[in-house]
Amino acid sequence: MSESGIDAERRSFNVWALTPSLIVLFAIAVLPAIYLVVTSLTPFQLTNPGSATDFSSPLRNYGLLPGDPRFVNSLLVQAKLSFWSVLFQVLIGMGLALLLNVPSRFVEFARTFFLIPMVLPPIVVAVIWKLIYTPDISPLYYAAQALHFTMPALTSSVDFALTAIVIADTWEWLPFTFLMVLAALQTIPDEYSEAALVDGASKLQIFWYVTLPFIMPILVISGMFRLIDSVKAFPLIFLLTSGGPGTLTEVTNYYAYLLAFDTNEIGYSSAVTVVMLLLVCGISLGLVWMGRRREALA
Amino acid sequence: MSESSLRKATPGRLVAISVTLLILLSPFLWLLQMSFKSNDQILQFPPPLIFTPTLENYISLWHSAFSASFVNSLLSASLSTALALLLGVPAAYALSRWAGRGKHALSFAILVTRMAPPIAFTIPFFLFYRWIGLLDTITGLVLVYTSFNLPLVIWMMQPFFDTIPASLEEAALVDGARTRTVFTKIVLPMVTPGIAATAILCFLYAWNDFFFALILTRTNARTAPVAVVNFMNYEGWEWGKIAAGGSLVMAPVLIFSLAVRRYLVSGLTAGAVKG
Repeated sequence: MSESGIDAERRSFNVWALTPSLIVLFAIAVLPAIYLVVTSLTPFQLTNPGSATDFSSPLRNYGLLPGDPRFVNSLLVQAKLSFWSVLFQVLIGMGLALLLNVPSRFVEFARTFFLIPMVLPPIVVAVIWKLIYTPDISPLYYAAQALHFTMPALTSSVDFALTAIVIADTWEWLPFTFLMVLAALQTIPDEYSEAALVDGASKLQIFWYVTLPFIMPILVISGMFRLIDSVKAFPLIFLLTSGGPGTLTEVTNYYAYLLAFDTNEIGYSSAVTVVMLLLVCGISLGLVWMGRRREALA
Repeated sequence: MSESSLRKATPGRLVAISVTLLILLSPFLWLLQMSFKSNDQILQFPPPLIFTPTLENYISLWHSAFSASFVNSLLSASLSTALALLLGVPAAYALSRWAGRGKHALSFAILVTRMAPPIAFTIPFFLFYRWIGLLDTITGLVLVYTSFNLPLVIWMMQPFFDTIPASLEEAALVDGARTRTVFTKIVLPMVTPGIAATAILCFLYAWNDFFFALILTRTNARTAPVAVVNFMNYEGWEWGKIAAGGSLVMAPVLIFSLAVRRYLVSGLTAGAVKG
């Protein structure tokens, strides 16, 4: 077969191999996204026939958003939840990675077990923390009782509910940052810190001036990964607090869920979801741009 | 200097690692031990740390509707994995060999479909399923999970195909073989480990899902994660069953994760962004 014959054959194979996937992705990913935008332009309620095709005031839902205290609150709650859980995940993940960054068969074996919280089904993670936070059967409350200390109800308390979610979310995802930082640590040549040690640097100084600059990019990147994914903390909120007390733990994702599947406000919920999608995409694109810039600099 | 004096597995450090691991895993271990306790033992104070384990929770699950949900989970996770591989593996190969422009844009566009929060898909899927009668069916779940796993397959498999030297295939092509034959007879057998790892990750994603199953199923196609939550009902929480159900739901995850831990990171980060 000639060169051009091979190229043509390849091209036809590529078309044959890619088309089914692209059709499926279009049909079950792109079309729904378009439809979501369409419903966001209507006052769609399942109980109200005709509302799905009522485009008389298409921007009504979006106009309502800034004046909706629950929507504004949900963004703030999400920001708080994301900020604290990402911060803790990065810091504790880094600490764990530093602790486990030793050449040893036992430690290599142990590493796998550190990953367990991250791979567990999210709903099982939520069940585990429900167990920890339920006074009658929780080991935490047993311990408090044994020490004659009265533990407040964590998930229904105004002061602790969001913290309870942050703790559970941090537990679930710190293996991720741990894994990323550990991978970065293992690329640092020992010679650097050895040289610093010979020069009389303290361990803290070595960490600050040698290790930290090396792992800084991965700290930022793994934090960003977690930031994007932190809007998906649905099972924890669903099971632990249901958004309460009041709306103290009601993130945007959960609010959109309640609107669509609890109060049947499909159109308005779609608008909330579209705004949320735009925010996530904005952050993601910012990330890609940062990654590109880093590559250009390297 | 080969071995750093800073990075040493000193006894103190090993103890610190063991203690940290124990603390980290204690919530998980608490659920596990509870699944082997009778209801009386669960409510006992102080909680008995040494007790005669019982299988009564697991046995009552076996005889309840939970076993049907477990089968639903197995079916929807494995069928959607098979479908995603069937569609995605050839597509990944084509993208890997495609020298034309727009390759990166297309790869990225495919990945974007995975970044969106699930709620963005759930509302349209729910309405559409309600319309054509796919609510509460395994087929409905398989379709959603396939749409979520297809980008993962394409992204996970591309690097595997990239590592196969093109010269290997070109020899066969020059001899007149069709690309299709080269793909199935030469290339596919070489990436079997990659396919296995990808398949397990897809299975886990579908298996772990709670959100789609919560909204798109009721009773007939209810999956195990949703069934566990249903043990928290108005008549009171059946903690023994919750713990046993939770343990059963996480069992395949733990086994499979050990098998593919090398690929875990790339699989998990494909959900976010690759710059």
